Amino acid sequence: MTSTVTPAAASASAGADAPRRRRPRGTWLLLLAPVLAFDAVLFLTPLGKLVAASTHGDAYQRVLKDPLVSRSLLNTFEISALSTLATVVLGYLLAVVIWRRGPLARVILFALVLLPFWTGVLVKNFAWAVLLQDNGLVNTALQGLGITDAPVALLHNRFAVVVGMVHYLLPYAVFPIFAALAAIDDRLELAARSLGAGEASIFRRIILPLTVPGVSAAGLLVFIISTGFFITPVVLGGPGDMMIANQIDFYARQLTDFAGASALALLLTVIVSVFVAIYQRILRAGGEYEAG
Amino acid sequence: MSRRSVLRAAGASALAAPLAGSLLTACSTKSTPSAKPNTTVTVTSYGGSYNDQLTKTLLKPFEKKSGVRPSLLANTSLAGLKAQVQSGDVQWDLVELTAPEYLQAVDEGLLEKLDYGVISDKGLPAYAKADYGIKYLSFLFVMAWDQKHIPDVQAPKNWEQFLDQGRYKGKRSVYSQLSDSSILEAARLAAGVPFDKIYPLDVDAALTYLAQHPGRDGLIYHTANQEPIQQLTSGEVALSTSFNNRISAARKDGARLNFTANNSVVAGDYFVVPKGARNKEAAFRLLDFMSNDAAAGADFIQTTNLTLANTPALAKLPSSVADSLPTSPKLAGSILVRDDAWWAKNLKATEQRFKLWQAGS
Repeated sequence: MTSTVTPAAASASAGADAPRRRRPRGTWLLLLAPVLAFDAVLFLTPLGKLVAASTHGDAYQRVLKDPLVSRSLLNTFEISALSTLATVVLGYLLAVVIWRRGPLARVILFALVLLPFWTGVLVKNFAWAVLLQDNGLVNTALQGLGITDAPVALLHNRFAVVVGMVHYLLPYAVFPIFAALAAIDDRLELAARSLGAGEASIFRRIILPLTVPGVSAAGLLVFIISTGFFITPVVLGGPGDMMIANQIDFYARQLTDFAGASALALLLTVIVSVFVAIYQRILRAGGEYEAG
Repeated sequence: MSRRSVLRAAGASALAAPLAGSLLTACSTKSTPSAKPNTTVTVTSYGGSYNDQLTKTLLKPFEKKSGVRPSLLANTSLAGLKAQVQSGDVQWDLVELTAPEYLQAVDEGLLEKLDYGVISDKGLPAYAKADYGIKYLSFLFVMAWDQKHIPDVQAPKNWEQFLDQGRYKGKRSVYSQLSDSSILEAARLAAGVPFDKIYPLDVDAALTYLAQHPGRDGLIYHTANQEPIQQLTSGEVALSTSFNNRISAARKDGARLNFTANNSVVAGDYFVVPKGARNKEAAFRLLDFMSNDAAAGADFIQTTNLTLANTPALAKLPSSVADSLPTSPKLAGSILVRDDAWWAKNLKATEQRFKLWQAGS
């Protein structure tokens, strides 16, 4: 412990004769210690137990042979892909609108994005359930306007799940895309305009390429979050929209097959980790793009 | 709405229970059981109106008489019990399980053997007494409707009518899992199979019938017992399966719901003590009180319209109440008795089959 010094003292003593960068070795480890301890207790230990539990018997074989599992894996990818697509398209439009407005309109529009962001997912889901049910507001309005004469099936299906998920995910797409837009140098647009470019070609040749890293970051982030959805398919989906988290719940609670549930949970962890790794690479590539 | 969300949240937290349980044991020194004997007993049941009734009729009088303070939770599940026993951190003392779940828990060695020295079996009917639990409760699985939408004269009298899409437009709400639901038996009864030929249950035939009447799109699934009440009163569904006590409770609260006992299925729940429970003595004393105290038992039965395994209480009832109970001989011939042994053997496979069918294959 004698060699460790507080960061403030280190920079003060080093400041006189050496460059500020030099810090005594080991300080960073000390700073990291609380996080590592936190991680070890709350994440690594349970993860270790999960791995141990999943090796019990032939859990992996049992789980991978279960037609329900392949079904919910497929559902997870389909629903996540659909939600991601819808979220990124809507998020892009919203981000462009916010970017193009003045300061006051920006604040108001951001508030509209943030307010639902701070609302609990259950509240949002039940609100959609009330709106979309057979005798809900939407169906009553459709019939009142004479557009349909019987209730349209809007709830307990994939459509409702995607609607509920997009509502939850939108802020996660808007912020990275807005950040990419805000980083664009105004002079590029002025230069393009002075060379005779129209709105369409400015968008296509300057704005769109420069926001590609932001869009792909947003898309992956949204996709990663999507794969873990649990409550939304329960509240808004039908039995055919079971996602992998619901499958884990089914194994744990209804089949009381904890080994199977652990195996599935690890499977989900591995899949999501792969996407997280890709996400990190895209962020790095985005950084290089901007630097170049 | 709020009750639904609370139950859902409870369900979600049950998933985290194994992890939380193991963490607790890792972090804290294990407390020795019965350090302060017989002061509290933690009971878990199904929540909603049923928990209110349990508290009012059995738990409060027990507290007054014994000085033991019961605390009642709403998130009972075999999974929760198993997670607690396996992690060695048992929070529950008395747990309600469906009959097939009870038999599974016995099989897996998760339960404490009951001490019939503390629990007097004088008041216990023979069917209710078992080594690891008491089948303390019998209820009816019934078809229910809202009188605002379906007047009683037009209400379904059997499962064939209940499932007939031509007779009642709209959706039917059905419990999403089978350990507490007799929808497959109902489908067989609807197809005209006589009571004594229902078991062994032909699962495929039942599912084929449901696929035609009312069809997959005609069914929606509830995951909490209080949901059908709200779905029926809001008109979201035309008909629902439920339990006789839930509908009676909703009627007392002013809902215009009704049900028929005809063609219903009588089933039962067990109270069990998890292996390693901290206050098992107190739990045994509560079981003793429930099975032998005539006044509290009769109050429970009259409040819930359920049969309590408590012979002195049953003897005290006026015949008008006794005749309407799930175990009344008057109902014999018009109701089906659920075969717990068949379900214990086939529950998991059938749950998986049912889930797959729900998902469309």
